[in-house]
Amino acid sequence: MVMKGQYNIGHICTRQQCEAGRSEKVAMRWISQHMEQTDYTFTQLDQQTNRFANVLGSLGFGPGDIFFTFLPKMPEQFFAFLGTLKLQVIAGTLFSNFGEEALLDRLGDSKARGIITKKSFLKKIGRIRDQLPNLRYVIVVDIEEHQSDDILSYSRLMQEASDRFTAPATSADTPSVLHYTSGSTGKPKGVQHVHGSILSQDMTAREILQLSEDDVYWCTADQGWVTGTSYGIIGPWSIGVTQVHFGGGYNAEHWFDILQREKISVWYSAPTALRMLLKEEPELFARCDLSNLRHIFSVGEPLNPEVIHWARRTLDRDIYDTWFQTETGAIMIANRPGIEVRPGSMGKPAPGIEAAIIADDGSPVPDGEQGNLCVKPGWPSMFVTYLNNPEVYGQKFRGGYYYSGDTAYRDADGYFWFMGRSDDVINTAGHLVSPFEVESALLEIPEIAESGVIGAPDELLFEKVVAYIALHDNCEYSPQLELKIRLHVSNKASTIATPQEIFVIDKIPKNKSGKIMRRVLKARYLGTDAGDISTMEED
Amino acid sequence: MDTMTTLNGIFCEVFDEDSIQITRETTADDVDGWDSLSHTNLIVAVEMAFNVRFNLKDTRTLKDVGELIDLIDRKLAEKA
Repeated sequence: MVMKGQYNIGHICTRQQCEAGRSEKVAMRWISQHMEQTDYTFTQLDQQTNRFANVLGSLGFGPGDIFFTFLPKMPEQFFAFLGTLKLQVIAGTLFSNFGEEALLDRLGDSKARGIITKKSFLKKIGRIRDQLPNLRYVIVVDIEEHQSDDILSYSRLMQEASDRFTAPATSADTPSVLHYTSGSTGKPKGVQHVHGSILSQDMTAREILQLSEDDVYWCTADQGWVTGTSYGIIGPWSIGVTQVHFGGGYNAEHWFDILQREKISVWYSAPTALRMLLKEEPELFARCDLSNLRHIFSVGEPLNPEVIHWARRTLDRDIYDTWFQTETGAIMIANRPGIEVRPGSMGKPAPGIEAAIIADDGSPVPDGEQGNLCVKPGWPSMFVTYLNNPEVYGQKFRGGYYYSGDTAYRDADGYFWFMGRSDDVINTAGHLVSPFEVESALLEIPEIAESGVIGAPDELLFEKVVAYIALHDNCEYSPQLELKIRLHVSNKASTIATPQEIFVIDKIPKNKSGKIMRRVLKARYLGTDAGDISTMEED
Repeated sequence: MDTMTTLNGIFCEVFDEDSIQITRETTADDVDGWDSLSHTNLIVAVEMAFNVRFNLKDTRTLKDVGELIDLIDRKLAEKA
């Protein structure tokens, strides 16, 4: 797949496909939210990404600079992402539902020099712009003319740029993609990958997703998420596969219309979406011809066995659950065709991946017993650092293993079974939410004196965000305050982080050093024993 | 103020964007950030502004702004 030592992801996904004889093959069938269809061949993908590389070059961007996309799913997202990589500029992606605090954390920490966005998101960027001295350019996809020296029209820039560009020779260890991920404490961390990661993404797209050149493939993931870049851009295009991308949100009728009409053969989605489908009327599926659909895969959070049983019953298909993380860059453990699916399990390690269950003291854990889910380092898509945070990066590796932060067990047949997180990070609809970030946003509301945030089990989302708050003496809880909390968290952090339930209590439990005891809140929510509370601060 | 005008103000507040101009035909695909989670925020805001209560089934099946306006007007008529 890599030819003459050229690891450049942008080059491999576009020009190399043309050179392999796929110039006129459809690379992307874009379906708008209104179900209008536009095809882009690999030649057009190459030209559009070349133009964008030239745009950034003309603005003075060069290798090692950081440029972000902050867009909903739309063609410009793909052109900008691959064009950025062609120039060896680091490509970061941001969820379009991020609020201004989430943007500030990520753009500020990375010292990003540029961002591409939509007009409707300019307000959020405008509010934090003065705190981002390194942010030189904002490129806007839906304005016709430049608004100022640094707020520039995408269409104008692209018109003026050449569609010819040759990516520089790029070694495997050249920085490539940057995703931010949340931890249970502190600010989100920038997970840095390198161009060589394409080896893992290509291999797993072939071996796990079982993609080949003739497939029509649809990955529903947003490009703000690692799945959206590793398997919604890089892996499939490295093989020359036609990808369908849909600009609309969840809509069961539209989704099944797309699966049928576009003859999707491999579909990669998420448990939350699949659980939503499970609630739809069976007639919807009965009238669809899914004869082209070979495989369905899932990623994000554990897939409940009932969803697998539903798919077998209703769609006459298995759903193969897969596991990986932002840090791993590619699928590490997976169910897949050819291996018996054990509903509820994560499956078995991908080829070349050595996974293990290890105790806190570093000793191996016998099969059937829970421990830390670890992976032996060395796979090509392994992250190379947390940007500006090498110490925390170092802490993820102990005794020759990468510690994922998940807990699991392995059965006697080598299947891995997810048990939970070893920290307080909340996995809601496949997105990791930091309780610290939500607690911080809540404390910005004048009425709130203290806050503690936990993840609680949820049928649809896997986990939901639950907030406990203590109010200042002269404040009362009201529907108006609830709305204020919801909108504040949505617009400052993101809609994903918005608490689904809010409880007012007198005091947030903390230990004697002032750390919030989230396990006490969780036990309170679940009605279980909180365990040892001897370290809890007393009144 | 008519339902549409009040609702437009709520959209601007919930989606943090002053330039939103809704019509009866506006759907979730036309407003950046209108996903299932922000939909809950929208419904809470609408209930508060119009002093009405919806049941979950009503709000989950709404196809566009027109249907939301009709639902609000129906609830207001029931109260009158």
